[in-house]
Order: sequence, then C-alpha cells, then structure tokens
Amino acid sequence: MKIGVFVCHCGSNIEGTVDTAAVAAAAREFPGVAFATDTMYTCSEPGQEEIVNAIKEHQLDGVVVASCTPRMHEQTFRRTVERAGLNRYLFEMANIREHVSWIGKDREANTNKATDLVRMAASKLLHNRPLLSKQFDINKRVLIIGGGVAGIQAALDCAEGGLEVVLVEKTTTIGGKMAKLDKTFPTVDCSCCILGPRMVDVAQHPNITLYAYSEIEEVSGYVGNFDVKVKKKATYVDWDKCTGCGICMTKCPSKKATDYFNEGIGKTTAINIPFPQAIPKKAKIDADFCMKLQKGKCGICAKVCPSGCIDFTQQDEFVTEKVGAIVAATGFDLFDWTVYGEYGGGRYPDVITSLQYERMLSASGPTGGHIKRPSDGKEPKNVVFIQCVGSRDKSVGRPYCTGFCCMYTAKQAILTKDHLPESQTYVFYMDIRATGKNYDEFTRRAMEEYNAKYIRGRVSMIYPKGDSLLVRGADTLMGTQVEVDADLVVLAVGAEAAAGAAGLAEKLRISYDSYGFYMEGHPKLKPVETNTAGVYLAGSCQGPKDIPSSVAQGSAAASKVLGLFSKDKLASDPQVSVVDIKRCIGCGKCMKTCPFGAIKEIDFRGMKKAEVIETVCQGCGICTSTCPQGAAQLQHFTDNQILSEVNALCQF
Amino acid sequence: MKYQQELKDSIRKALPGLDVVIAWSAGYDPLHATPHFIRREEDIDRLEIGPFSVHNLATYLPGLRGKKVGIVVKGCDSRSVIELLQENLINREDVTIFGFPCTGVVDQTKIRKALGHTGKVDFCQIASQTVVIGAGGEEHKLRLSKVLADKCFSCQYPNALISDHFVGEKISPSAQTEGGDDLEAFENMPLPERFAFWQKEMDRCIRCYACRNACPMCVCRDHCLAESRDPHWLSQEDSVRDKWMFQLIHAYHLAGRCTECGECQRACPMDIPLLLLKKKMNKEIKELFQYEAGVDPEATPPLLSFKMEEENIKEREW
Repeated sequence: MKIGVFVCHCGSNIEGTVDTAAVAAAAREFPGVAFATDTMYTCSEPGQEEIVNAIKEHQLDGVVVASCTPRMHEQTFRRTVERAGLNRYLFEMANIREHVSWIGKDREANTNKATDLVRMAASKLLHNRPLLSKQFDINKRVLIIGGGVAGIQAALDCAEGGLEVVLVEKTTTIGGKMAKLDKTFPTVDCSCCILGPRMVDVAQHPNITLYAYSEIEEVSGYVGNFDVKVKKKATYVDWDKCTGCGICMTKCPSKKATDYFNEGIGKTTAINIPFPQAIPKKAKIDADFCMKLQKGKCGICAKVCPSGCIDFTQQDEFVTEKVGAIVAATGFDLFDWTVYGEYGGGRYPDVITSLQYERMLSASGPTGGHIKRPSDGKEPKNVVFIQCVGSRDKSVGRPYCTGFCCMYTAKQAILTKDHLPESQTYVFYMDIRATGKNYDEFTRRAMEEYNAKYIRGRVSMIYPKGDSLLVRGADTLMGTQVEVDADLVVLAVGAEAAAGAAGLAEKLRISYDSYGFYMEGHPKLKPVETNTAGVYLAGSCQGPKDIPSSVAQGSAAASKVLGLFSKDKLASDPQVSVVDIKRCIGCGKCMKTCPFGAIKEIDFRGMKKAEVIETVCQGCGICTSTCPQGAAQLQHFTDNQILSEVNALCQF
Repeated sequence: MKYQQELKDSIRKALPGLDVVIAWSAGYDPLHATPHFIRREEDIDRLEIGPFSVHNLATYLPGLRGKKVGIVVKGCDSRSVIELLQENLINREDVTIFGFPCTGVVDQTKIRKALGHTGKVDFCQIASQTVVIGAGGEEHKLRLSKVLADKCFSCQYPNALISDHFVGEKISPSAQTEGGDDLEAFENMPLPERFAFWQKEMDRCIRCYACRNACPMCVCRDHCLAESRDPHWLSQEDSVRDKWMFQLIHAYHLAGRCTECGECQRACPMDIPLLLLKKKMNKEIKELFQYEAGVDPEATPPLLSFKMEEENIKEREW
C-alpha cells in the first residue's frame, strides 16, 4: 500500500502547539507511507485539491489526514478520496486537535503524541479493506413523539409535505404547555386562540394519525425502517363512541380528583375532559379517584352517557407502527421548587408557580380568569414575582438559564395590572434576559407603563405575617435589604427535562446531557439531528425554549424528515459486523448479547451458524467482543485493525 | 469405590441406546487412571472410579456433538456439563449423565512431591484415609488429605448437579472455605508483587497449550487465538508477554463460564497455578452478578446477555 499523510495546521489551532512539519517528516518513515506533507487548512478547497493531486501524482491508495475530530470532517475527506478514485474506507483520520493541540501546551510532547496518533492511523490503514454500502428501501412515514407546539408544528409540516404522520401524545390531549398558557409574550395574544386552530388542523388532517394518552413502549429497527410499539393506555372510555359532550363530568360524584391540566389549582371530576378546546375532545376516567374502579360502587357516568361509551373493563392496548423517521418533541417539566425552604417549601398556599398563575389568569381556568388567593379566595393587592427559581442555581443542580422566565414574568406583571388595576407588582430578578425580537421593549413596558417594581436581588425568606406574606430580600442595586408585604407570591419556576426523558432516550438510542435534555448532533450545525440516524429533535426536549424557537425547531425537524424521505432508497453503513462462517460454531452467544436483535441463526449444510442482518446492525461491536472464536468481526474495526493500532503505539 | 458395581450395572442397561459412554479405567501405572471410552459391553468391566478419576470428561462432549453420549461425572464435572448445555454447545437429549458421590480426587503433583520420585510405581493401596504407594522398592505411607487436589477442599458440589442416573447416596459437602486460601493470599499481595509473581510463573510456560486442550469450556478449536493469524493476536516469540497475554485472554474468555474444574492446572506440565487466574475472575463475576457458573442449566451466564442497565454496575453514578 502507498499511503499519503497530510498533517493539518488548522491555522494556528494545531500548528500553535504541534510541529506539523516534524510530524510529516516522521510519518515518511512509517511502513507503507509514500508521501507526507503538512498543509495550512486541509479541509479547505485547495487543501482537498492537494490530496486529490497527491493521490494521482504518487499513485497513493490510502490517505491519512491528521487534523480535527472525525466528527467534524471525516465525511469531507472520505468524499475527497472518493473523488480521486479511492474507496472511502481507505482513509483514516488522526485527531491531533481535540486530542492533542487543544489540550496541552508542551510543543515537544504534543509533537510526539501527534506522531504516535499518525503512526496508529497509518498502521490501521494498512489493514483497511474497501467497503461498499448497499441500498435499502425506506418507509416514508414519520413518528412524532409529543403533541406540544413543537410536535404539532412538525406533524403539520410533515403532513403538508405529503408524509403520513403518527403523532403520539402522553396525556389525553395535544397542546402541551402552550395550551395551559393564558397569553403569550411579547404580543399578549391569547395562547389557546392561536394554538387552537393548529390543534384542530392536526385532528382533521387526513395524513395524521393521533394516539393520545399513549406512550412509546418499544422501538426497534433503524433509519428508514423503525418498528414502534405504542401503548394506548386505558381511559375506561371507548373513544370511538365518545362525543365529548361532557354530561359525564356534570354528573360524576367524585369531584376531588387532581386537576393536572390546571396544575392543581382547584379540583376536577374523576371522569373529565381537561379543557374545552382539547384535541381529541374525549373523556378519560382517572382510576385513582373513580369510585367504581376503586370501590366497585357508582357507575353513574355509564348510566348518563348518551352514547354508552363507558367501559370499566378496558385494558391497555398495544399497536405497532412502522415508520422511517422519528421526531422527539417531548418538551419539559417544571422544576420541583419545594426544595427551597426559604420560599416555604410548599407550606404556604399563597406561594404558587408561574404556571399555576397562568391557569388562574385564563378565562377558561378554574377561577374563570379571576386572580384569587388560594388560601382565602380574596383578590391580592401586592403580587411578588420571584425569578430564577430552579434556574441559574448550582446549589439545586440547575446551573443553566431556562431562558423564557424573564419574559413570562414581565407578561404576568402586565396581565396582573390588567386584571387588578389597583394592584402593585414586584419582581425580584438576577438579570433581565430579553434577547428576542421586541422582547426588551416588552420588559421595559412592564416596568414603565405597568409600573412593575423590578428589584435586582434574591429573596432570602418568605414568612407569614397576619394573613399576608412578608418577602425579605436584597436590593443589590441599592445595597439594602428590602421587605415587601405580599398577598400572593408567584415563583418563576425553571424548566427541567420531562419526566421519563431518559427512558425514552434509551428506547430511541439517543444521548442526553446530565440534566436529561437530549443531545443534538452538533451544537451549532446539527441542532435538530441526533447521533442516531433517522431520529430528530424538536422543542424543549433538547433544552428550554420559548414558543417561537420551539415552532422553528418543529419546522426544522420536519424539513430534515422531508429531506431524508426525498430519496427512495438509503445507503446502508458498511461498518457493520460480519460473521466468518468458517469460524462460527453456532453457539449463539452473539445473538444473546446483540442489543439490536441484528443476528439471526441460519442453517448452513446442516450446521447452525450466525448471520448478521446488515441493515439492523448498528456496529456497536458487542458481538465482536463476545465471540470467542473471533468469527464476528466489525468491519473497519476488525481485531487486526485494532491490534495494528495497539502494536503501533505499544512498541517495545 | 463402593458404588462401582452399581454404576457398571447402570451403564450396562443404558449402553444399547448410546454410541459411547465415557468413564475412567486404570492407567499405565497404579497411580494413574485414564479416560475410558465404552463402546461394547466387555469394555464396561474395565471401568474404575475413585480418587484417581481426575479427568474432567466433559471436555470430550463438544467434540462428540451429534452422537448419543453417556458420561460419568463427578460433582465438579457436572458443572461443566451444565455450562456446555447453557451455552448451546451440546444437546441435552444427546447426553446421558451418570453421577456418583465424589469424595475427592488426588493431585498427582502433590504425590510426586511427597514421593520425591517420578519413576515407575509398583503398587498403590488406598485404605480409608491412608495411601500406601510402593515405588523404587520403597513403601510410602501418605495421608489421603495431604494429596487431595486443592479444589476438593473447597468443594461445594460433591454430587452431580445434573444426572439421568445417580448411583449411591448423595453426600454433603465437607468444604470449609469458599474460594480457597491461595486466592486470598494472592489478593493480599501488593500490585508490584502480583506482577512479579505472574512474570515468574509465566516465564516457565512452554506454550504447549495443554491447559487449553484440557479445558472443557475451550471450544474455539481450530480458531484458537493462540494459533490464529487472522486476527493475529499473538506472535510466536518466546516472550513472557505473549505467554501471559494468552493466559489472560483465556481467563477473560472464561470469566463467568469457568466451573473451576482445575483441568488447566492439572494438565500443565510446568505446574503453573493457572486456576488462580480463573478463580479471581469468577470471584469478580460473583460479586458483580451473584452468578456461579454451571449450577443452573436454565440460567444465562452474565457476560452472554445484554442489559441496558446492570443491577450492580451503577453507570449513571460514574
């Protein structure tokens, strides 16, 4: 083999602490290396041309580029060598930027390490074989998990693009957090009025199949051909018959059920439809509160239901959907603020969350849009808002900024004044983060036109005083302590990953950060992709987002899915495991350990053998390390290839 | 051995339905038994079981796959049979297992050391706890407990754990310690000492691979990494590094599979304490997975399964 080695300066990124010329000079002595040079920017057009020319001039049949991480440019260079007529797998990349130049300043040590990495790459390349991918058919249907605003947007865009869409929502209605909001910033238009029509579009679109009150049970398969098992949870109501008339709700005697939609402000009936605009508008029985299901006595809803749709024997149902791509749009949940002892830890009824306040402001909410103190139902005069509750706080493990609380707090301050003209609002804040279009103007309006008193500082304590609360905090701009008499305290609670996010990520085989938010493919260049082919992200499941950003991501994910499905066939990755039939003794250990069910048993002249299903194999290599015979070998990472790297590094 | 006749009768009854029954018979001298392949009725008479029935005959089973095979097993051997069944390397319906209560087998190395003599042995008599050996014109009296194999002192399973025909009465284990003292002593050594220990031991290895050939769980046969060129794991250099590498890979391949029959160590002509490596691996497996190889035919060895989250490996807390 004649190998060409190209050592990249990456401007001064690498050259700054690595003597690239010396690395190239050392590389010329490695076995198989016929040509080596250092270049300014290998990924640039002239840099790539240099590779193409060198391949032709020196009849190279393998190329090593020592530069950045393969995550960045492996595809780039594979295409380059392909352009020059080589197989794309006769290329190896040595990462001398992230693994060398960026992490150490000792030029001599860095140069030595870079040389070692290039030696390993060249040594592996000697054992590389050309690999070819195969074409396979794809199923042009898309699964969208989560029916919040991001999921709705993605579903509608995909459906409009002509794709069949399966939308799975955990609760009984789509709409997500946005449906719970009263108004939206900075336009102060009615949240449900702008979302409602889109929800109706979802219900009516011929291309969308909606599974509400359902969850993802199992995902198998691969890009283009996923099999998804969906669990339709028991609602005890036959939704095919339910018309959403709501008579059951008026007659249900169990009126103390937890009202999840209204965030626990007030109670609801055991059988209920969460809100008037719910999609689908179907009733569900909360088994924890239903007298019939708990004690076997009652059944009034079944008697009054005009369509006879109550079924107390209903069980969870499972359906399997075949799709080619998946969009995760599972949103966020609120941080449990009761860990803060200084805010009462949940002991004071008049300390509520911002989302509870939204429900109180909403005309369709439990108070009919009247702001009332939960303790005595009186109208508050002084309303205190506390920002950054569970945001930007390392002490509770939430160092990140939720990003949208500054804005909704300003909105709520404005709405408070609208609802109660005699009221006075106070906002304890750390910094105002109002970076969107018209956002800063909006917060200024809250301060200047609605007379919200912004106090820069943290609250150290809330305690009851008479029938109101005393809020004690610091005013860091004045350098004094302040005390405010509050009738109602609203906490701007931060966002955290949705409950169950980690479990779903494992089913989807995508990664998540230490807070449970899903990891995008690249923080800048692949914001809605994941590292699992065919799985995309939209909305707050990737990190807290306001409505415009969530909608934008929903559309972005849809465009990625439409792009993926613009081809009729996809190329399989040839970096998969292959079983050497001569070595295989048919013990089946590989089948037992394969996490993807990608190995099947075949009969070969009366003997049992293992065979890898190429399109299902994800190339994880577990079978390779399980097979004692070394019969299962991961292509492009065979034992020989890895051993040659080890031997190149561990010379003695 | 008091159940010998009963065993012979049992085999005699089953033999017509079997291609072969593997047992032991007298070897080239009174101190050695040899594996005995019974194909015809007259072969049965030569069968002998007792303290010299050292070989783990389960080693032969994978090679006889597809044939109807009878096998006589000690408790420890039966664990190998179970492990082979678990790993789908033999078929249960093809194997007929004859079990008997084992009271321990001898360690030839210990006898040799006690005799100080490796030449021809004239006679050997075992009466209760004493072994009388005649060699080189001298008579040696040894206490049986001094020459039993180490594994017998920590034996938990003296009766076959799986059998179609069991002769005699089941006995309870007399084992005092679990794992044996050699492992404890080894673990108490500081790391540099352990390294030096293995360097010294492995230096003696002559790369004969008797350990591998005797191992009932070594099933790669023609594709053993010791000789494979593709992948080329080991060189043919006479270096401690390559010898040691082989033994380590062997031990890794046996982690959670090894039934600690000790055949590797018994077969080693250089007396390298190979079982120690495997015991150490098994101990780790037991701590992590609460699993013991070759006890339950229905269980799946922990390293031959995939779980998203292991109970005792708290990856999330790393």
